[in-house]
Amino acid sequence: MGGYRPGWLNGTIAWATVIYLILPITIILPVSLTDQRFLSLPQHALSGEHYARLLTTPAWINAILQSAYIATASTLVAVVLGTLCAIGCWRLSRRSTELVRALMLLPIIIPSIAYAIGLYRYFAGLGLLDSFTGVVIAHGVTGIPYVVITVSTALAAFDPRLESAARGMGASLGQTLRWVILPRIMPGIVSGAIFAFIHSWDELVVVLFIASRRVFTLPRKIWDGINENLDPAMAAVAVLLVGMTVLLLLLDLALRQQRRD
Amino acid sequence: MSAVAGHALSLQGVAKRYGDFTAVQGATLEVGNGEFLTLLGPSGSGKTTILMMIAGFVEPSAGRILLDGRDITALPPERRDFGMVFQGYALFPHMTVAENVAFPLRVRRMSRGDREAKVRAALDLVQLDRFADRRPAQLSGGQQQRVALARALVFDPALLLLDEPLSALDKKLRAELQEELKALHRRVGRTFINVTHDQEEALSLSDRIAILNHGNVVQVGSPEGLYERPATRFVADFLGKSNFIEGEAAPDAGGMALRRGGTVVLARGTAPAGKALLSLRPEKIALLPGGGVEDNVVEGRIAAWSYLGTGYAVTVATQDLGELRVHLPAWRIPVAPSEGLAVRLGWSRDAAVAVAEDAA
Repeated sequence: MGGYRPGWLNGTIAWATVIYLILPITIILPVSLTDQRFLSLPQHALSGEHYARLLTTPAWINAILQSAYIATASTLVAVVLGTLCAIGCWRLSRRSTELVRALMLLPIIIPSIAYAIGLYRYFAGLGLLDSFTGVVIAHGVTGIPYVVITVSTALAAFDPRLESAARGMGASLGQTLRWVILPRIMPGIVSGAIFAFIHSWDELVVVLFIASRRVFTLPRKIWDGINENLDPAMAAVAVLLVGMTVLLLLLDLALRQQRRD
Repeated sequence: MSAVAGHALSLQGVAKRYGDFTAVQGATLEVGNGEFLTLLGPSGSGKTTILMMIAGFVEPSAGRILLDGRDITALPPERRDFGMVFQGYALFPHMTVAENVAFPLRVRRMSRGDREAKVRAALDLVQLDRFADRRPAQLSGGQQQRVALARALVFDPALLLLDEPLSALDKKLRAELQEELKALHRRVGRTFINVTHDQEEALSLSDRIAILNHGNVVQVGSPEGLYERPATRFVADFLGKSNFIEGEAAPDAGGMALRRGGTVVLARGTAPAGKALLSLRPEKIALLPGGGVEDNVVEGRIAAWSYLGTGYAVTVATQDLGELRVHLPAWRIPVAPSEGLAVRLGWSRDAAVAVAEDAA
């Protein structure tokens, strides 16, 4: 393969951008392995004690479990609602459905702080403040755009003749959905689910507004910790958060690769 | 009345309009029991729209569709029980060949055991039993086409609809699958309705052909009937090739006589006195000397010629009849063709047939 070769200037800029993106993330890795008692780079040796503490302190374990639970439940909400919405818009396919699709993207377009204030006012009246249900609903709704985007993309590549073929052979709408449409767009649904999960997993702003004592997600625990003390365990948590996200993105990449083969 | 195995379809004034555009204007057509009918026409003639209305995917703007006398116009496609082979086949890529063929049975909640037996029989029918576990992407175009056929036939549909089933294949494979499709039709004895723009395919496959142009059914008949007795200029031109001779007609002892300039052409059939149009197939003209007694003899010069392997295509310029295209088998050409060569053309009275000018 011949073709385009970047010059030295392009190459330098590209690498600088990569470093700019990655460096703040990589710095937490050595910090999490520090042998000191405060947030700092290792002085004499590498130490795993902060990771050990993380996994033995009930407060941290509780936060990890809460985050995992909320992320899983809100992903479920986002996937079901987002997929149904995307399929509905695709089947009707009118100008009004374009508007609906655009509306569905609002949660990632408007600033999350504005969204959080709105949710706070709204949830107060419904008694959903500081409850798991409230956070699951909030994260589920803000996760919908990711699912709508990925599922709509998958549907755009779906051959509409397959639906006609299924119906021509006697399949009801439900059977067509279950046996033909859903299996064909499953990679898009899985992609959307992964993004919705990541979204909930590291969401902080909304949780700060609507949670107080009972709900302590991992990002919120870090936020509180950094305000109160400079415990290196937070760097370890941060590594955990990033590690989880990277893992999920790699999974997404692997699934896409597999589909292409 | 005794029950019959196949099913008959009847279209009564079926039309489809999209806003100001008329795709099909009042098609009336009878398809008999176990018949192989082809809808033949150029692109945009409305043939696919008619098929889609029969399948139920397009709702007619007017008219009725009857199956064995029962009105099915308002029935959705999933309740018509018609098998269909789509253009490009529309096989489910995420299912194996066997799963694809089993789909219509699964939809009908048939038990697993019955399903397997039927799928095997259907795959046997199209000689694909060895490929049951493959995915469609692992098959050749011809094999995919046969999977689509098996899938469309496995649930014993009332009709089999074929939308340009061979158009995606190369020429050689197409000829092969034409033979297979014809044999399959004979074996299963069901009513087939095929759509194509390929006139050779239509001639070789069909019991009857309906020729369409600009949303109208122009003529319906057997392949021989349409080829030998085209009703209009369009039919004569679209189904095979034709020379056209315009002139003043008059009755004559053996049929009719058409005068154009100083030449009189004898033809079969009758035409009212006045302006008339004759269609004359290129392969029915002989280069003289050769052949027997000819009713019509015309002199001209070779304007162009080409060798086709199976014979020669020669264009002869005549004084009164313009340029006439002549197709000659290689063994029937009496001279070596060359441009400007003076030749005599002859054809019998039966070769020419009167056709109507196309309605504007």
